[in-house]
Amino acid sequence: MRDYILLYVNGREQRISAAQAFQPASDYLRLDLGQCGTKVVCAEGDCGACSVMVGRLATEAGLEPGNELTYVPINSCIQYLYQLDCTHLITVEGLKFDGQLNPVQQSMVDSNGAQCGYCTPGFVVAMCGLANDLQSQQQCQGKTCYPSEKQVKDSLTGNLCRCTGYEAIINAGMAVDLGRYKSFSELYPDKEMVANFKAHAQNELMLKLGGRTAFNPTSLSSACKFLNEQEKVVIVSGGTDVSVNMNKRDLVPANVMSTAALPGLSELKVLDESGRKVLSVGAKVTLRQLENLMKDLVPEFHKILWVYGSPQIRHAGTLAGNIANGSPIADSTPFLFLMEAEIEVTGCGGVRKIPMAEFYKGYKQLSLHKDELITRILLPLPHANELVKLYKISRRQHLDISAFTAAIRISLKGNIIERAFVVFGGVGPVVMRCAAVEAALLGTTHELVTYEAAGKIAKEVITPITDVRGSRDFRLALAENILSKFYFETASNEREFACR
Amino acid sequence: MSIIGKNIPHDSAPGHVSGESVYIDDIAPSRNELLVDYFGSPFAHGRIKSLDLSDALKVPGVAALYTYKDLHHNVFGPITQDEILLVEDVAEFIGQPIVVIAAESRAAIKAAKAAIKLDMEELKPVLTVAGAIAAGQYLDKTYKIERGNVAAAFASADHIIEGRFVIAGADHFYLESQACLVYPGEYNQLTIHSSTQNPSEVQHVVAHLLGLQLNEVVCLIKRMGGGFGGKECQATHPAVMAALVALKTKRPARIVYTKDDDMKYTGKRHPYQNDYKVAFDSEGVITALEASLYADGGAYNDLSTAVLGRSLTHIDNAYYLPNLLAVGKICKTNFPPNTAFRGFGGPQGAITIENIMEEIAVYLGQDAYEVRRKNCYGVSDRNVTHYGQLLVNNTLPQIFDELSQSCNYAERVTAVKKFNAESKTHLKGLSFTGLKFGISFTNKFLNQANALVNIYLDGTIQVSTGATEMGQGVNTNIKMLVADEFAIAPEHVIVMTTSTEKNNNTSATAASSATDLNGSAAVNACLKIKERLNVVASNYFAGREIGIGAYSDSIVYEGGFVFDERRPHVKLTFPELVNLAYRERVSLGERGHYITPSIGFDWSVGQGSPFLYFTNGASCSEVLIDRFTGELKVERVDILMDIGKSINPGLNRGQITGAFIQGMGWLTTEDLRYAASGALLSYSPTTYKIPNIYDTPPVFNVDTIDNDCTVNVKGSKAVGEPPLLLAFSVFFAVKNALSYVSGKEIATLVTPASGEEILSRLTEYKLKAAGLPFTPWPAEAGSVLQRAMSRAKGYSLIQDSVSAATLAEGDTIKIPVTVNGNGAGNGEEPLNGTNGSALKASEDEQELATEAAI
Ligand SMILES: Cc1cc2nc3c(=O)[nH]c(=O)nc-3n(C[C@H](O)[C@H](O)[C@H](O)COP(=O)(O)OP(=O)(O)OC[C@H]3O[C@@H](n4cnc5c(N)ncnc54)[C@H](O)[C@@H]3O)c2cc1C
Ligand code: FES
Ligand code: FES
Repeated sequence: MRDYILLYVNGREQRISAAQAFQPASDYLRLDLGQCGTKVVCAEGDCGACSVMVGRLATEAGLEPGNELTYVPINSCIQYLYQLDCTHLITVEGLKFDGQLNPVQQSMVDSNGAQCGYCTPGFVVAMCGLANDLQSQQQCQGKTCYPSEKQVKDSLTGNLCRCTGYEAIINAGMAVDLGRYKSFSELYPDKEMVANFKAHAQNELMLKLGGRTAFNPTSLSSACKFLNEQEKVVIVSGGTDVSVNMNKRDLVPANVMSTAALPGLSELKVLDESGRKVLSVGAKVTLRQLENLMKDLVPEFHKILWVYGSPQIRHAGTLAGNIANGSPIADSTPFLFLMEAEIEVTGCGGVRKIPMAEFYKGYKQLSLHKDELITRILLPLPHANELVKLYKISRRQHLDISAFTAAIRISLKGNIIERAFVVFGGVGPVVMRCAAVEAALLGTTHELVTYEAAGKIAKEVITPITDVRGSRDFRLALAENILSKFYFETASNEREFACR
Repeated sequence: MSIIGKNIPHDSAPGHVSGESVYIDDIAPSRNELLVDYFGSPFAHGRIKSLDLSDALKVPGVAALYTYKDLHHNVFGPITQDEILLVEDVAEFIGQPIVVIAAESRAAIKAAKAAIKLDMEELKPVLTVAGAIAAGQYLDKTYKIERGNVAAAFASADHIIEGRFVIAGADHFYLESQACLVYPGEYNQLTIHSSTQNPSEVQHVVAHLLGLQLNEVVCLIKRMGGGFGGKECQATHPAVMAALVALKTKRPARIVYTKDDDMKYTGKRHPYQNDYKVAFDSEGVITALEASLYADGGAYNDLSTAVLGRSLTHIDNAYYLPNLLAVGKICKTNFPPNTAFRGFGGPQGAITIENIMEEIAVYLGQDAYEVRRKNCYGVSDRNVTHYGQLLVNNTLPQIFDELSQSCNYAERVTAVKKFNAESKTHLKGLSFTGLKFGISFTNKFLNQANALVNIYLDGTIQVSTGATEMGQGVNTNIKMLVADEFAIAPEHVIVMTTSTEKNNNTSATAASSATDLNGSAAVNACLKIKERLNVVASNYFAGREIGIGAYSDSIVYEGGFVFDERRPHVKLTFPELVNLAYRERVSLGERGHYITPSIGFDWSVGQGSPFLYFTNGASCSEVLIDRFTGELKVERVDILMDIGKSINPGLNRGQITGAFIQGMGWLTTEDLRYAASGALLSYSPTTYKIPNIYDTPPVFNVDTIDNDCTVNVKGSKAVGEPPLLLAFSVFFAVKNALSYVSGKEIATLVTPASGEEILSRLTEYKLKAAGLPFTPWPAEAGSVLQRAMSRAKGYSLIQDSVSAATLAEGDTIKIPVTVNGNGAGNGEEPLNGTNGSALKASEDEQELATEAAI
């Protein structure tokens, strides 16, 4: 057992004892280290002002730790220190090249990308993350090359700016000369860090402060044992839900157990199960890794993942966490219901699989036993000839929680609906398949009137509530209309009307 | 070569990008510093029955608790002194401070809050404009601007539209929340670091409430992490609380609001409910307007009087209104006092007339741009505002004509019509709106500024003014102006931390005029120093060059050198001249003072020339709407502005794009949703959605016309607030899109045009087209506060018979003046009108629209 966290900040080693461990990284940086470049605005992952780069031993999709650090941007306000054991944080203070503004920083200055400056450190960090990725991927070293507008925007959806209207920031990003950009590993040679992390990683981290414990098990058996023996254990994967609840909803768990050091949960691969393609998603696979894979594999799911939270959120958050969080407006679960996914859970007694349809027992009530955690998600992929559409309705396209979600999957024989799956989220306490609507569609013709009629039924059978994200009436209208929208998007003779 | 007009980066940019810029919460804590927070009212309206602090005082780490009893005064306010800082008896809004808490740690503050025992009787709150009107509950008196003969104009009108336009508030969402750090000094002196747009006001309110002399209080502000008006008045509240703690405990005291608290408990942009009645001829030219503006002031006046004043002076926006009666009232409601927000009431006035333009066009079946162009202020006639100010050098017609050409308005209207006729899944809308924004404070005495310029022996300069830097670049502008006066490199000028110690009795950095006022004052200081330096220089050159006398008028500053223009080859560097002057015992520091010339306004008659000049512009926006979900995409925006000659074009462009996107947020995604209790539900970025990087339009053309503003510093014009109003075009593009499906009705829309609002309108028109009734959402009040609805109804007086058709909501629209001569719009009667037969939209178009409806 180890009783301190090993963390590097801008290349300097820090050993953090329990007394300091139960706080978000942003507080540690600002209050304990006095490094105040990292700003805290919302303290819940929704503005990006607190963005820092975190370098970990690479767990690229499907791989186990390698010999170098991989850097991703995260929201330091919702990463508690025990989640960051054996990582290297690079903050805005650690980005200059030899004491000079780096090309990203210089470009932000030259393009007037900073006005009041409060959002700027977060933008600069996220933009440096992009530059770091691109210059390695695109072999820009020594050549002149620039990020595209889409790359810039995609990397900055997690950062809010109230002053600039973003135009100048986009221009700044597109003017960064990647050929002059030095990678993080060049700025911070990682050999010593890697060795130090590896030496520490095998030693389980256990921190105790007052009545609180933080535990990072290094084996599943140790994890299940802890779950079994301790009361009120909160499992933390990416922490993008758990940490928000700690910051904002007075969650003070007696025991937190981080999955960070668990081996074998990073696998992401397509299995062939008797002709059907099934995606196996390890519990530690981040939403970002999933997003990357879905781009070509299931573009429809990629569309949802692309607008899911922000890069910072997706780099931390996991599919397992999204499922276990049990929110009726979770964005990944409608697709899992639609494809009849299975959740693999592991407990002291071994492994079992729970069909998605049986996983929720009520609002935030899971079919998990006390000693169990999610270890894998088995997600059958749609057949090429199935019509599958996913919908997320939110006030803002990016970085917003849904007011309403829907997923529809239809198999046609000729023009007759042979199989129908219709899933709604945000219309009740749990994400649900809507049997009445499915029944109404089955055996009917794939034409507008069918879907209009089904929409009317949808409206009858759901019972949404009015809340801050939308009125009951809004959700009713969406449920009704979404079926017609599906028709227009899938009917070959109508497609010409569907626009962009 | 002058540096005026060059793109010099913001003076703080290198610090911003490296995280080295310091904001209040970044200042390293002192050893004995206390954290300050407060405990506020749980009710929007409630009476304290008992308050017991004994347990809270025992909480370990709690240093002190204070109530109103610990203040010298408890009542304050920038215009009318009606605001109570710490509740004495009756709380007027949720979160109104009751107890100030000073503690060693955040944990202790939290524990103290839990241990405070408050017994409060809940009183009935007023939470809507309608509620306040019903209760006759107003802050301040009724304000009015009147011109011409409104009654006669209505009596002879061809057409009339009456309606109500409902405008929502908005949160400033500056990223740095309200923050203040106070160091106690000797005796009763206090040094206050406040994130404020108005250090003098912080100084005044702190001194007043704590019973100090003004000279005992120094307020400093290096920079804000955004202000947008939200820190013009409301930075005072945290400052007083921290100052109270510092004064009483003799320990440094810091208060930093969390974003959630800041959003829940500070004032916002004023929501408005505006009733209007407009008369116009068959060409669409307005002959008269009657408007009643009801601002939701919140619980106390704050700046509401001035905000309402600007709404009334901006009810015309870019359009000539020959006969007008505009009255305004400030409703008192149980919300935190609403306050300044970029545009300062101007947007809420101006958007009303833009709404009217859109409705006239639909009613007459004309193009909305054409209607606007016809009503646009003229250059040589139709160029006097409703309050009597002559528009000098009016660039509006030029801007309208140039932008409508450059954005291909006409072709795009045709394309939109075609698209809407064909697409079953989406709707498009296009709108072109104008902008005329008056520059100056409407309170004459505020239009003054002072500046301090100190030159050091190496030729470098420090400038201090009352302007506060919140990202807008005022310090960079001032630095450029000063560097330009002495023709030295801008790197040799630093604009110092704003402090009441160096600049006294300053005005807020507001009304877009910080550079105008403070920059001019700094230039005046430079001119005075130059007068003295010129004497030194001319004596020096006269001594060096035989035959030229000492003429200080012929001294020239250029490229870091000083010379006599008659003998330019003999030069002094600027530092050499400064050293010469020093040895001649010439003063190298100066204060400049500036007053805006020839402005004034008299509210007793609603007339005057309150503005030094106007910043003008126009914008055109195209939007795409999903007919099934109401989702909105802004596809293209074109902007053209007259901002004079820019001191720094790069910074100005940032003001234009930033203000536009901020305005767009207010009118689209930003939705302040309240619980029925009055508690704000959307109090963090999780639920309050300001625009994101993908919301910036993919096509965003921003341009300015060539114009020289002869009355302002270096020919420049203010640009901070005006472009916010350009975002109107986005909102009206939505309204325009709806007009394709609203059948025979004038489409109505409340702000913000969120997906939900748009889908509710689409649903309404779809149901009505099918002959079915529509109940506004949310149909049942339940947990959220229901909002008022916009509505509009037009009718023609050319028709022989005027049949009565009351508005769907059956609600009364009160029009302030009774129109004699015909039955329409009579006094307090329900709004009358014909049943749509007068709608001039061509049958074809109507059919098309109904067909397109889904
Ligand atoms: C700013 C922001 C934006 C967001 N945007 C979206 C969005 O667009 N769409 C959306 O759906 N969600 C969104 N979320 C919510 C959140 O990001 C997701 O739910 C995410 O998938 C959670 O994953 P995580 O790994 O961070 O979970 P954690 O926070 O670590 O855990 C979430 C829950 O799952 C439990 N848990 C975690 N791992 C396991 C496991 N292996 N076995 C059993 N239980 C486990 C935890 O105990 C906890 O109850 C957002 C959150 C934030 C802060
Ligand atoms: S402070 Fe807003 S995301 Fe962390
Ligand atoms: S520069 Fe002020 S919030 Fe971005």
